[in-house]
Amino acid sequence: MMETALKALFILLYATFVGFMFMGIIRIVTARIHRRVGPPIYQPILDTIKLLSKKSNITHGVIYDFGVLYALGATILAIMFIPLGNIGVLRAYGDLILITFLLEIPMLGIMFAAMSSGNPYAGIGAQRALLTMLAIQVPLGFAIVALAEFYGTFSTYEIVMAQQVSGWSIAHLPLLLAAIAYDLVLQAMFGKEPFDIMIAPGEISLGPMVEFGGKHMGILQIQHAIALFAETLFFSNIFLGGAVVTTFASPVLNTIASLAILLVKQIAVLLVATFMGAIFPRFTIDQAAKFYWKWPTIIAALGAILASL
Amino acid sequence: MVDWRLFDPLFEYARKRSMWIVSFCTGCGGIEMPPLATSRYDFERFGVMPNPSPRMADLFLITGYVTPKTLKRIIITYEMQPDPKYVLAHGSCPLNGGIYWDGYNAIKHLDKYIPVDVAIAGCMPRPEAVMDGIQKMMELIETGEADGWKRYKENYEWYRKNQDELFGEGWREKTARRWIPWLMDKKKEVKEE
Ligand code: SF4
Repeated sequence: MMETALKALFILLYATFVGFMFMGIIRIVTARIHRRVGPPIYQPILDTIKLLSKKSNITHGVIYDFGVLYALGATILAIMFIPLGNIGVLRAYGDLILITFLLEIPMLGIMFAAMSSGNPYAGIGAQRALLTMLAIQVPLGFAIVALAEFYGTFSTYEIVMAQQVSGWSIAHLPLLLAAIAYDLVLQAMFGKEPFDIMIAPGEISLGPMVEFGGKHMGILQIQHAIALFAETLFFSNIFLGGAVVTTFASPVLNTIASLAILLVKQIAVLLVATFMGAIFPRFTIDQAAKFYWKWPTIIAALGAILASL
Repeated sequence: MVDWRLFDPLFEYARKRSMWIVSFCTGCGGIEMPPLATSRYDFERFGVMPNPSPRMADLFLITGYVTPKTLKRIIITYEMQPDPKYVLAHGSCPLNGGIYWDGYNAIKHLDKYIPVDVAIAGCMPRPEAVMDGIQKMMELIETGEADGWKRYKENYEWYRKNQDELFGEGWREKTARRWIPWLMDKKKEVKEE
């Protein structure tokens, strides 16, 4: 019991810290692509401290407060289900679907809160976010089905274990297709260009985020950090082989080695998303929906069919 | 309870290094923003980030001349920002009217309507001067001298009087109802309860 609690605490702290570093990396890399110097890597932490230390706070009612906490809670729950090397707190059969679901519902929480503020920009943003979510469901579903079909299981942990024997998922053609589709979906889950339609800073003033300020925004920053960590971790677990190191004698060394390997893979996933985000302009919502229902869906469906043959 | 005063130096440092700006690009000065934000001067080095929403803003940039019409929006936007908030007036126009010193429709002293923490002189100030202003602002935040938001609260009567003299009584509700109706309606509900 005690050990599980400690593990959960460790995962939470590690995820938050590394997530903030990821946010810093995104900002620095984007700045370098623009030929700027960019902020220091710990800038997101300073932003969060500043937001949490605001002296006045504006609330728009209970749902507004609750939505923010709901988003944070869902993200924390998701991170507990994803195996982090050989540390895992919660494990259930079928957690592949559960995690996919949990990674999406924070957006719902943010939307509740945004809509209850009554701001028309937040309304438009929430509408667009819902449409984006609807658009990504199809390729996402096919990618998950391909994965489950190939390994014959819905358990993330078993998929990671199977990859230790048979090589990374993306080494197999059907799963490579699924991975490409999932990576395109990931772009929308990160909220990066060309699919940052829901936040669109210059166009609809950050969309759902427009009314959040002070502590609400601080909590959302923390949520964003953990979500970044969780999404990259999930991708590297199911497609890039995860990491279960057993070469060392001491378990601590094993854990550190697995975390390091995972970190490298996560940063790779992150950089791909950042590069794509930095060079593409923004789609409009109908273009994004059409895109998702066409190419990633075809690729992922092909993957799923090939996997079941 | 934790005594949060202990962490004040940390908070001040974070506030200083992470100013999110809402720029009210009313006048000519708005054109200085792109070079500041892009690779030539790059103010993101200091954590300054342009931000479209007044709810998350710390630094309010007023880049140029102010007319009564824009002043209404400026005051309402300023009041929407959470404390602590800072105002940086940009160019001679908000300072003393600049070349519109005898204009019938320009506000001569922005200071009378909202508190200004740092003013940059020049018509128009070069990006270097704006960088200098931002540096000055950071210094003031660190030493706690950038207390415009406190002054606004303490001398609210005076500011209110000046604003009402210019626009007439009840302008705030009228403008706000037009521009942020979702907030105004909510306030009414609360009153009725
Ligand atoms: S100070 Fe000069 S540059 Fe700035 S708004 Fe006034 S006239 Fe334009």
